[in-house]
Amino acid sequence: MNRPVGREVLLETRGLSRLYPDGQVQALRDVSLSIHLGEYVAIMGPSGSGKSTLLTALGAIDRPTTGEVLFAGQPLSQHPNLDALRATQIGFVFQSFHLLPTLTAVENVQIPMFEMPWSSTQRTSRARDLLEQVGMSHRCDHLPSRLSVGERQRVAIARALANRPQLLLADEPTGNLDSQTAEEILALFANLHQTIGMTLVIVTHSDEVARSAQRCIRLRDGRVVEDSGTVVS
Amino acid sequence: MHFATLLFKNLLRRKTRSLLTCCGVAIAVGTTVVLLGITDSFERATVHAFEGRGVDLVVIEEGVIDQLSSDLDEKMVQRVARLPEVKDVAPGLLDLAAFPALGSTVTALVQGWEVQGFLLQGLKITSGQGLTEPNQHAAIIGKGLADSLQKQPGDSLEIEGETFEIVGIFESFTPAENSGVVIPLPQMQRIKYRPERVTGFSVVVRQDGGDTAAVDRVRRQISKLVDEQGKSGRMVAQPVRDYVQASGHIRIAHAMAWMTSVIAIVVGAIGMLNTMIMSVVERVREISILRAIGWKKSRVIRMILGESLIISMVGATLGSLGAIVLSQGLARWPAVQGMIDGSIGPPIVAMGFLMSTLLGLVGGVYPALRAARLLPAEGLRHE
Repeated sequence: MNRPVGREVLLETRGLSRLYPDGQVQALRDVSLSIHLGEYVAIMGPSGSGKSTLLTALGAIDRPTTGEVLFAGQPLSQHPNLDALRATQIGFVFQSFHLLPTLTAVENVQIPMFEMPWSSTQRTSRARDLLEQVGMSHRCDHLPSRLSVGERQRVAIARALANRPQLLLADEPTGNLDSQTAEEILALFANLHQTIGMTLVIVTHSDEVARSAQRCIRLRDGRVVEDSGTVVS
Repeated sequence: MHFATLLFKNLLRRKTRSLLTCCGVAIAVGTTVVLLGITDSFERATVHAFEGRGVDLVVIEEGVIDQLSSDLDEKMVQRVARLPEVKDVAPGLLDLAAFPALGSTVTALVQGWEVQGFLLQGLKITSGQGLTEPNQHAAIIGKGLADSLQKQPGDSLEIEGETFEIVGIFESFTPAENSGVVIPLPQMQRIKYRPERVTGFSVVVRQDGGDTAAVDRVRRQISKLVDEQGKSGRMVAQPVRDYVQASGHIRIAHAMAWMTSVIAIVVGAIGMLNTMIMSVVERVREISILRAIGWKKSRVIRMILGESLIISMVGATLGSLGAIVLSQGLARWPAVQGMIDGSIGPPIVAMGFLMSTLLGLVGGVYPALRAARLLPAEGLRHE
């Protein structure tokens, strides 16, 4: 197991279950796991196995039906301000990028920064720095419609890094990309992990993505069936 | 990037829809501003017609709403004139009359005034001559009416079935009077079959050393005056502004202007509501994503309300400009020429912007709250 030893636990789930309101779909069943600060984790599993549901629970976007998620030791159910937690501690990268179509790349990156006490000049300057970091400095003033899908995902990653989060959650970040672009995005994630020690949790179908991670958690029917090669059940 | 830049860019996604909504707001605000502006202009013109002659009090019959429905004994004029603090009194008998003009009719105010009274001093004869004799079968008409009826000195004018010679054309210091007719008071009393009766009179109070309390003293004295038989004169004296604000036609004009404005604003608010609800429904996933990346509910509310307020402010600007242009055009229209001066005061424009702000808030608050209620997970479920 590549799990870092002696490091602080950033995320922890205890007996996490998620039953959707229609009562028909049990997306998660008694999921308990810990993710340490600075880990690079891939969550894998077939469609409908609960990967994205687990990601939304980890990211304080969705609430579990039972169980608890702890962020830096604090239960999310008792957290006073989940909006602020998402804004400042967690970055999200989506499969479909979700960039605002009327804003340029540099403007899109600034969207999460409105929740920070930064001036317009500071926001713009930081957004340009981030775009440079993801290799997009030459496309700052382009609208998403004028960017390739790989470039859009780079902008989305820059947006996710806008408020210097501790944790980056990515839902199928290479799902819409060709293999070469996917490799470039994976290299970007690896770089973020190695250079700034960012904690990465990536939901993926791709074995290649899983191989790039330190640790792989496999889900089936809402349960953890394997954790970095260790068969759970 | 400023937050406002985001709001403008959001609105520009649907340019046509945003523009049409702006137009709806502009029509609502424009209607409000032009109607309130005309009423205000009419009120100001009426006040100016009295104050421009130094009139302090207007006396009419007790219990009526304006001079047109008032009926007073002309002898009371002398009793008022004898009050020690009264400087001058000018009685008048007025009524509306219709005159044929180029296939249509023009309605004008016909005033019966004393030929030696101070009211005539406010009229400048621009063509012909003024009224000189009480028994003169003559009329002078305002420049605006002369233009509408295409009359000049020497022509005749039929009033109440009697023919009067137009001896002069006048221009008043107040444009409202330029669309009227003045004949000697005895002639007006005769053709209206109201001998020795007047509809009201204007009183100038002697205010030595700026004694403004004198006006109130005279007002109270007039209301207590009795006729020759010792009966109450049934007169009420009002300061000019009170009289104008209380007069029936001004109140009706105000009520109609407000009623029409409220309807326009409600229609505008419904249009705004529809636009903003559509905008939120179209952006469910996007707003959820904004919530997922940490936007507070209050920021989502600010975004949607900000967008509706931008639409309402742009609409208010367009509507106010349109109202000013329309009002200027209306002031030149022969049928109302002289009745209004076409100017719209800053308070009326401010009122239009205030109503537009309310419209923006009313139209935006429900969609904003609806958007804020969207769950952050909503957008990801559709992935």
